[in-house]
Amino acid sequence: MSAQTAYTSENPCISAKSLICGTLVTTDLARIRHMLEKGFGLECVRAGRDLLLARDRQHRSGENKAGEPFWVLEIRQKDKVPVAQEMLNHWGMAAPNQAAVDEAYKNVNERKQEFGIVRVQKPRFRHGSYACYFVDVDSNWWELEYRAPEITYEALRAKGDLHKD
Amino acid sequence: MSHEPLVKNETLSHGTIECSDLVVTRRFLTEFLGMKIHRPVPEAQYIYKGGPWSVVCVCVEGGEAKEQIPDNRFKISVGSKEEVRHAHDEALRLREQYGIRQVNDLVESDVTVSFQLQDLNRTWWEITTADERYYEQLFERGDI
Repeated sequence: MSAQTAYTSENPCISAKSLICGTLVTTDLARIRHMLEKGFGLECVRAGRDLLLARDRQHRSGENKAGEPFWVLEIRQKDKVPVAQEMLNHWGMAAPNQAAVDEAYKNVNERKQEFGIVRVQKPRFRHGSYACYFVDVDSNWWELEYRAPEITYEALRAKGDLHKD
Repeated sequence: MSHEPLVKNETLSHGTIECSDLVVTRRFLTEFLGMKIHRPVPEAQYIYKGGPWSVVCVCVEGGEAKEQIPDNRFKISVGSKEEVRHAHDEALRLREQYGIRQVNDLVESDVTVSFQLQDLNRTWWEITTADERYYEQLFERGDI
């Protein structure tokens, strides 16, 4: 018998193809676009009067990640943020190494007002990863995280580590 | 002109949600939503389907997950409009079994069909026909 590598259901109610998108709220699309594009290096597009989409760069035709799966952030502009978000509702980004986390902490701290960031947490080790958090003026939490190759999200999937209930 | 971002971000990697019971939540996520899950640490399980992206589901010790609104949700892509309608029927039929708190009406446009539901942990999910091709077209179109 092969080892189970994921909790899954053979006959789920919904035949999901993919997790495709996460959504969040801002009070200023231009401000958050500046943060996502110039601060975090994402590709953004204005898809509606009150709607901005963001994804990793390099997914356009002819670019490095063209044809690979991508995740979308859908950002809706509202007059106010109805429910303030907290640390356990953050959006995570992967850093290439530990130094990149330290560098981001320094860079963001120096220019946080320009990017609408109100809080920057010092990098620290947590559960084997090295990360810092940024909180924007709309209470959205952003994590920049370095994970060693053996504990990246994909590596952990491959290991099929199913902690006992 | 090339631009060096402030943060050297390789990729969007994950989102995060709260739950009050990992095992009961896992039943909903796998049996109802059709997600895959692994649990590398005692306090959290990682949800994924169809790509490298994960949603980290963290157990809130001794407490309840806080209330969320539909503006803060996760979207799950399915293969057809019929599958969305079937999922909507199933959500209504099985809401008690899986602790589903709310099931909103179907929303049909020329392009997509979708509906939103709030799960046992007050997290909102949208089941939709919008897929990568749909979003790719929006990115290709550019700013409106």
